[in-house]
Amino acid sequence: MFTHTGRPIGEHEARGQTARIYHEIRQTLRVSGVNLNFRTWAGFPVFFPLMWEAMQPIAAAQAFETASDRLRARAVDLAFGLPALGVRAALGESQAYQLQQALALYHYINPKLLLFTILVGRGLQGSSRRSPTAEGGRSDGRCDARLLPRVPFGAPPNMAAMEMVDEAPDDPTLRRLFSEIRRTLRLSSLNSDYRTLALWPDYLDPAWSALAPVATSAAFADAQDALTREARQAADTLPVPAGMDLRLLAARGESAERVLETTVRFARLLPGLILNITLLSRDWRSAEHLRASPFPVGPGLSAASPS
Amino acid sequence: MTDWRAFQRQQKLAELDGTFISYLDEGHGEPVVLLHGIPTWSFCWEPVLGSLVRHGRVLAPDLPGFGFSDKRDTFDRSIGRQAERIDEWMARIGLASATIVGHDIGGGVALRLATRFPARVRKLCVINTVSYDSWPVELMLQFGHPGVNRLLSARRAVSLLTHALKSGFATVPASPMLEGLLAPYATEIGKLSLIRNAAALNTNLTTEIAPLLPSISVPTLILWGEEDPFQPIAYGERLRWDIPGARLLRLRGARHFAMFDRPDDVASAVIGLIGGR
Repeated sequence: MFTHTGRPIGEHEARGQTARIYHEIRQTLRVSGVNLNFRTWAGFPVFFPLMWEAMQPIAAAQAFETASDRLRARAVDLAFGLPALGVRAALGESQAYQLQQALALYHYINPKLLLFTILVGRGLQGSSRRSPTAEGGRSDGRCDARLLPRVPFGAPPNMAAMEMVDEAPDDPTLRRLFSEIRRTLRLSSLNSDYRTLALWPDYLDPAWSALAPVATSAAFADAQDALTREARQAADTLPVPAGMDLRLLAARGESAERVLETTVRFARLLPGLILNITLLSRDWRSAEHLRASPFPVGPGLSAASPS
Repeated sequence: MTDWRAFQRQQKLAELDGTFISYLDEGHGEPVVLLHGIPTWSFCWEPVLGSLVRHGRVLAPDLPGFGFSDKRDTFDRSIGRQAERIDEWMARIGLASATIVGHDIGGGVALRLATRFPARVRKLCVINTVSYDSWPVELMLQFGHPGVNRLLSARRAVSLLTHALKSGFATVPASPMLEGLLAPYATEIGKLSLIRNAAALNTNLTTEIAPLLPSISVPTLILWGEEDPFQPIAYGERLRWDIPGARLLRLRGARHFAMFDRPDDVASAVIGLIGGR
């Protein structure tokens, strides 16, 4: 029986197959680091490579990127319907620049993570029904990657590094903040986003004070639900990954129920995270600016000819 | 003394082609550019900043890969490239030339500026600098191995470096200052950047300019903590011999981080250089 490690596997700790997959995640999703979803999934040694093999062609697709772009734009509309935060923080010029770069990184990647997570959930549950709107699908519901035009790989050259403070920081202010965020948002592990914003404690402290009441409001919950519905509809346009359902995982000794529980948890949390980052970004950028992808892809690569 | 977060808050930012540099820019008048070494950042100049700012304009950049400048794993961090970046940075902020002061590998960058970009250098000061084949030191050679990233967490790496750094001081600074010197490297990204910086240490980049040292024609001051365990004073003596008119000021009792051990003497010497003494 394979044992789930119980904790996320950091990028610098990754070895062998995990290190290979982490590299491919960064390249395929066009991101400078590996988010908490993947670091947590990496703790399931049977699931993780199967999941990636199934999802990589989908995540590489222009259709996936386009669907993520639309989801991001919708998140902006929803976030701008909520109260502005107006965070006041004493930041220098260099700090402000780098904070905005960090917000742009997460504003870009989080919608992709949500779509990815929903599709993984469907793959786990063996949803073989092919949506009539899905691209690249075959009649048996499997995805043929060769049919999907692909985005150019690699993190954009102007994307910030995914730098994070340790999840157990020595700084007492950060320890308090992390504890409050985990408690308020009911997180077992702190998302990468908050750990990155913790690079500027003088920002994160007032930002969280402004964000917490909004993020726990009824209006926010409504926006979260709306974004979740939009994300599911966006996922309907994409192929369902195959070869990673729960029965197969269980047969191979994986902690299948834990995998599903983890995936469902991320799918539940990500819409709120997307809205939070958008709310924080709103202090710096207009709605029009935020609706556009911070890292638009160039012309996609053509699908390779079937061999 | 300023704490490191307050120091960071004062930093400005210049975007260069494909990267960015965070830097301090305080005071008015005759400009002096301070270039730090490894494994520190511009905060290492904190003990002398107050004195220098009273006498002129002080600019202290974090070299790319260090401090709070760009620390992505995407560029060359050799002192050859660093000198080119400083040249670009000076152009970007409209600084035609300045007195260049460099410590440790920052001194190596300063020597490359003086020999490759002489128009940028009005006067030159190197403090316990790398030169000729005096570097890299063993610790940095080992730290630069790519495997170190997997072997050491950021927390452990900083702990080891803190311990190693202490031998560079005659009087070890208080913990908050010592912590501040390594603070930018306390994340996994920061740690990896420092590893890459260490991997980029290349003695060829000072040996290749050794024949050019006699061509330095600007007033040059060589400051040296005599008891430096990392950079022996013999190299300072050789620099004095090679650079025409260079003056060597020995700082008795001081070690590698002379600006910490003898801040008044370092500041006074640099001010004297700028003022024509």
